[in-house]
Parts: sequence; structure tokens; C-alpha cells
Amino acid sequence: MKMGSKEDNIQSGSGMIVDFIKGRAFYLLGILLFLAAWQIACTLKGFGDFSEAFSPLSAALALLEMARNGDILHHAIPSLRRVLVSLSLAIVFALPTGVLVGYFRQLEQITYVPFQFMRMISPLAWMPIAIIIFGVGDVSVTFLLWLVAIWPLILNTVHGAGRVSPLWLNMAKTMGAKDMGILSKIIIPAAIPDMLTGLRLAVGVSWIILVPAEMLGVPDGLGYFILDTRDRFRYDQLMATIFIIGAIGYLLDSANRWLISKFAWKI
Amino acid sequence: MAEGTNDKAGSGRRKTLISLSGVTKKYQKNGKDLEAVSGCDLEIAENEFLVIVGPTGSGKSTLLKMIAGFEPPTSGEIRLEGELIKGPGADRGMIFQEYALLPWRTVLKNVELGLELKGVSGEKEKKALAMNYIDMVGLTYAAGKYPVELSGGMKRRASLAMILVTKPKILLMDGPFNALDSKTKLTLHNEIVRIWEHEHNTIIFVTSELDEAVKLSDRIAVMNKRGQISRIIDNPLPRPRFGKEALAPDFHHRFVALREEVMNEVKIGAGLEACTI
Repeated sequence: MKMGSKEDNIQSGSGMIVDFIKGRAFYLLGILLFLAAWQIACTLKGFGDFSEAFSPLSAALALLEMARNGDILHHAIPSLRRVLVSLSLAIVFALPTGVLVGYFRQLEQITYVPFQFMRMISPLAWMPIAIIIFGVGDVSVTFLLWLVAIWPLILNTVHGAGRVSPLWLNMAKTMGAKDMGILSKIIIPAAIPDMLTGLRLAVGVSWIILVPAEMLGVPDGLGYFILDTRDRFRYDQLMATIFIIGAIGYLLDSANRWLISKFAWKI
Repeated sequence: MAEGTNDKAGSGRRKTLISLSGVTKKYQKNGKDLEAVSGCDLEIAENEFLVIVGPTGSGKSTLLKMIAGFEPPTSGEIRLEGELIKGPGADRGMIFQEYALLPWRTVLKNVELGLELKGVSGEKEKKALAMNYIDMVGLTYAAGKYPVELSGGMKRRASLAMILVTKPKILLMDGPFNALDSKTKLTLHNEIVRIWEHEHNTIIFVTSELDEAVKLSDRIAVMNKRGQISRIIDNPLPRPRFGKEALAPDFHHRFVALREEVMNEVKIGAGLEACTI
């Protein structure tokens, strides 16, 4: 599927770099202002006695140290693994559920109240129950992440599958299509943009819930490492970890936005 | 009545494909029963081009939807080759007023949809069949375009190819050329007749434009505002009805005379006074 393609302009290398910066000057300015404000606040001891450790400069040095001694990979990889495993399980469960609920109106009415009720509960509230059922460790964390990811996926898919134009359905029927054909050729492709929106929201909320979930008795991961650096009074490493959490989250979201731009169709 | 003496005289011998008897459709509106279609009897022969006209709200579209199987009649029955119509089916391809192209598919892929639903799976076979009909509707050059890139006329052509590729015995067309500019409309009139002659299907065509009705039809069924078929008028004009044949000395006169006849019937049906020419 091709949509919203960008025009590629062919130019010499240096000209391209200048153009690239020109087009994004205000984005760069935003980043620089953010870093400058952060550094100044720390230098002026705006956050108390430990302010120096919170500064971007200390964080950058700690980041280098953590890159060298392998701390970054050691904690980022388990975090990414937990998010990806729980997202995959959420997708496998939520997309078919969403399509069926969106297509069959009775099913939508049956599930409406339970779904709206369940989605408003923070998954962390289930934490003690998760630990009773699955024990302390990876499975509980994955379960909590799964529980938070399914709602945006289900509800967006329901929305996408439900707003399919009745014209398309009638046209398929006049071509002799049955339920299976309608689902596979009309409903599912029509719902793909909404599924991707759901995925983007699910990734965002999973990544946010990951940090507190990893504070619940796992031996690695970025959430664990936040507590670990605190206990070792390494506030520079704590800031560096916060930076890594933000950066990975930003990249995950960018990947999602790219997916959406690639697979969204226009009316 | 028009004194038809051309090939239409043989229509009595043609096999009846669809028969409607006492077809009535009632709706509830503000607690009152509303008869959109009332006691319609109609026989449509194989390979006939029937046009249904009538004032707004006369139930033309409702009648077509019932033949398509989207809505059941409240009473009466519709039979296709003797079988009661119970729902939509691939033997009756309906083309809607608003085109229904899938926005995420190219023209070619949209036309292939009907084949996929039928279970044709070979990529080459699908493409060859689809291109055949894309050529037929004159969209060869736009086969790779997405619906959002098409003009109104191109969308109608694409919708037509989408339905034709499924080879329906009957084409049901609900104002398919409404809201097109007159040049596009004239071209599509000629093409739908050419396709009809080539594919030997039966066409039931709903419109409120009388020129269109006279130009295309074998017979014209006129509906009135009570949802009844008030009259069925034979169209004796010889085909083809465009190009140099349309310049024959008495063609224009016969065309206008028939249109006025239909016009008067429509006016009476709408509760207005008829006039004579």
C-alpha cells in the first residue's frame, strides 16, 4: 500500500545537510532550549543538594560509563523483551476480539459495559492478584503489561471494524460475499488504520507502565535499575536511565507513526 | 401507447426472468404505516433493458433494493426464474448511486475483489479477467490508480467493472449516472448499452431523468407517488440510438414524442395536471 509518499529531492551531500537542518531548525532549537534549561536549573542547585548529579552533563557522563560497562544493554534488553512479548500476546488476543465485536452488533452490546469498566482500572491495581497467580517475576510483569495493552487495541479495532461503510458491505453482498469474505476482504483491511492507532496507544501505555511493573521483584530492566541507582546514590545514573527510557519510548512511537503513515489509506 | 413494430414485438416470447406479484413495502414512520411500494406486478424478460422512472419518493429505489434482496417485501413476492428471492446474491449485481470502491485498493485490485470473493485465486487469471472489464469500461490507463485519484466519471466506470467482472445475470442500477456532467453521462450511456449488448445481461435501471430513460430502455415502467406502477410503456425506438442513427429524419421527433408521453404519465403520477403536445 502506497500512501502519503514524500518527494525525494536529489542533491549534493552538503546541500542536503543544510536543507535538513533548515527544515528542522525549530525542532533542534527546542532540544537545545530543553537541555539548557535543565543544565541551568541544576547548576543553580534548583533541585537541592544533589542538583549537580541531575544535570544533563553528569547524565551524559554516566551514560557513557553505562554504555561501556554494559549496564544499558543489560537492562534495556529485558525491558524491551517484556514489552514486545506482552504486546505480541495482546495483539493476538485483541485484534480478533476487536474485529468480531466491531462486526457483530450483539457482541458489541454484550461486551460494552465489561470492557468500558475494565479498561478504567490501572493494571497496577491487579498487581497483588498477579503475584498470587503467577508469582513474583517475569510472568507477572508480562501479564500486567498485557492487561494494559489490550484495551487500546480492542477498542480501536472495534471502532475501525464498526465504522465500515454500509455501501462496501452491500456491494460485497451483491457480489455474493458471505461473512468470512466480508471479514477478510472488507472489515479487516478497513480497520487496519484504527488497529495501528490502537497499537501506537498500546505501545505508549505499555512503556509507561513498564517502569513501575519492573519495580515488582524482577532482577533486571530499566524500572529495576531506577531503584538500583537510587539505592546506590548514583543520581547521575538515575538521570541517564530516565533519558534512556524517554529515548526508547520516543523511538518506539516513531516506528509506530511510520507504520501508520505507510498503511493508512485515505478516503 | 406507442405503436411499437420493431423487434420488441418478440418480447412476449422471451423468457421471463424476474416476476413481481403484488409487491408491497410498508414502513413505520411516526407511528403511521407508509406504503413506499404498493401492489406492484411486473414481469421482466431475459436480456431486457427495463428503466423505472417516477417522481421523487415513488419507491423506485425501494423496489430495486427488494429485487436485489437487501430488503424483503412486506407482502407479495419476487421470483427469479421461479425461485423466491431471499437475500442478495451474485446473480444480481447492484450498482449504487454512490460508488463503493475500496479506498485501500487500486482500480485493478478493486475489480479483482469480486473474483477473490468467488474463490478465483490465480494471480494471472484474476488480473486477466479484471483487465478485460477494465478495458471494457475504458479505464485501462487508470488501472493502477487509487479511488481518491479518480474523477466522478472514472469512479462510476470502476464500480461498473467491479460488478461486471462477477458476471451477474442481472444488473441493478440505482441512478448510476446521477451527478455526472452531461458529456460523461452521454459517453457512459453509449457504453452501458454496448456492454449490455455484449454481455447479454438483463438491466433494471432506476432514474428520474426521462431523456436517459428513453435513450436506454426497451420498456419504461412509470411509478406514481403512491408507490404503484401506473403504466408500462414500450420503447419502439430502433437501436443504436446515438451517432448517425440518431440523426435519422424522424428519430428526434419520435424521441421527443415518447419522452413527452412518459413525462405526462410521471406528472399524473405526481398528482400534477398533464399537458398535451
